[in-house]
Amino acid sequence: MSVPAPAVRTEGLGRRFGELWALRGVDLELASGEVFGLLGPNGAGKTTTVRLLTSLIAPTEGRAWVDGFEVTADADTVRARVGILTETPGLYDRLTATQNLDFFARLHGLDPATRAERIERFLRLFELWDRRDDLAGTFSKGMKQKLAIARALIHEPSVVFLDEPTAALDPEAAFVVREAIASLRGAGRTIVLCTHNLDEAERLCDRIAFVRGGLLRVDSPARLRGGDGNGGGPSLRVILVEDPTPVQMAAVAAIPGVSHVAAGAAPVDAGVAADASLTCRLTDLRRDAPIVVRTMVEAGAQVIGVHEESRTLEDVYFEVMGRRPQVEGVTGGVDAGQS
Amino acid sequence: MRAAMVWTVVRRESLEILRNRLLVLSIVIPPIVLVITPLVLGSLASIAAATEPLPDDFVKTIVGSRPDWADFAVAELVAAYSLQQFLSLFLILPAYVPLSIATFSIVGEKQTRSLEAVLASPIRTGELLGGKTLSAIVPGMLTSWLAYLLLVVLAGIVLGPRLAGVILDPSWLAAVFLLGPAVGLVSCVAGIIVSSRVNDPRVAQQIGGLIIIPLASIAVIQAVSGFLFGAQQYVVAAIITTIVGIAGLRIANRLFGRETILTRWR
Repeated sequence: MSVPAPAVRTEGLGRRFGELWALRGVDLELASGEVFGLLGPNGAGKTTTVRLLTSLIAPTEGRAWVDGFEVTADADTVRARVGILTETPGLYDRLTATQNLDFFARLHGLDPATRAERIERFLRLFELWDRRDDLAGTFSKGMKQKLAIARALIHEPSVVFLDEPTAALDPEAAFVVREAIASLRGAGRTIVLCTHNLDEAERLCDRIAFVRGGLLRVDSPARLRGGDGNGGGPSLRVILVEDPTPVQMAAVAAIPGVSHVAAGAAPVDAGVAADASLTCRLTDLRRDAPIVVRTMVEAGAQVIGVHEESRTLEDVYFEVMGRRPQVEGVTGGVDAGQS
Repeated sequence: MRAAMVWTVVRRESLEILRNRLLVLSIVIPPIVLVITPLVLGSLASIAAATEPLPDDFVKTIVGSRPDWADFAVAELVAAYSLQQFLSLFLILPAYVPLSIATFSIVGEKQTRSLEAVLASPIRTGELLGGKTLSAIVPGMLTSWLAYLLLVVLAGIVLGPRLAGVILDPSWLAAVFLLGPAVGLVSCVAGIIVSSRVNDPRVAQQIGGLIIIPLASIAVIQAVSGFLFGAQQYVVAAIITTIVGIAGLRIANRLFGRETILTRWR
């Protein structure tokens, strides 16, 4: 059985603007039907990546293929196979919702019957059918965003690039968009999602890439959260009545698959009246955690509870990006007596 | 270049133009003024000539330029001369309308950032530019041609068939039907080039409006010297203007490249 071609593939992809490299050395393979997130700060190269993969701009070095077509040599074919939601909706304000979609459907060469069917389907999906004859300029931000997503999907592209799809949407509209993205995945479409919303990325993406001038790390959200940034596994904290003894710590450190054993205070949110704990890193939580607890008990420790030390994607993000902004106390630094 | 793509762009541009009240007014009002004014001034000039005759040498200069007017009565000659001055204004119409449309269209797309999604579709930049150019030129040409036909009909009614014949002269036909579209092309190209560098349609129009200076100078030269340009001069001017327009289109096409729009248009 032949292996299906990747939906997106890049080899050493890079783009320079003047003397500045916006992106360099991007090697990537996206499977068909995968939802892939691009996370990174402003100016990290996310939009450049999208523009390179949609044949909007040419790479300075390296190559890329979408659905097996090279983005430079087969630019027209690539553009016919991708859909893009740009950073701003970029709608024609003096055209109605229907006319906006009809224009793009015509650009993609759809026949009249298909145009009519898809326009109705997508306007209904995004709850804009009742406003189909209203000018896009009269729409709220959320409605414009939904219409722009419908525009990106009107020709049913095999790869969809969504740049901040839920930005500026109210929670209800954002939910509709996320559901739509989930249903697109169900329909086998490959989705590349640029977002600043870490929670959204975690919920929607099969894999996430941290981007800053290149791909810093690529993995599934679960593996990113579970790891230590250096490929290690999840952490375990064992809450104790007293600090762990050197013997107990050595016994735990001797367990295969256990590393980074350390003593520490119980976490504030442990929910127990304890002031001591032991932390360690495991290769496999389900296999190793019971062994660690049994070893501690056998070594004389009084165990009160056990917690998996879960890290958020935000923790991983700042770890990978190498910096976490220091925020001054918003109420601090002001003398009460000052007028 | 695929005609269907160009037509799709023309169709969308037309829908947008029709919904832009300010733009529609700027297309509709000037032709009305251009039809009424020559008729009123032509009538007034012939009345004035009856009480205050023209200097002989001025009459000789006019008849020298237009021997076919030699048998005109003085009042008719004055009216014909006045009407002829409006020929250059009829060239301003196909210059002004495409400039307005092109600047509104391109600066508008820059402001709403709507071009990126279009450029990510299979349309080629030449097709997009072609659609925009046609959408800008055609309304200007149609309005100037309609205004011209209306002027011919009304001049026949108000000023009589002999003076209506002045407007049907080959110089008018060459100016309206050859030089007019050529001027429209140059004007549209100027609008595209200027719009790619500025973000305010009014600024674009003011800069692009410089194209009206050579047209206005035709009127000034005729009014001051009494010399009237003939069909031959307008045909030559049409050829030169078309060459300039085509050269300008090549520059505009370069400015309209996908990368340029996405990375430099701000």
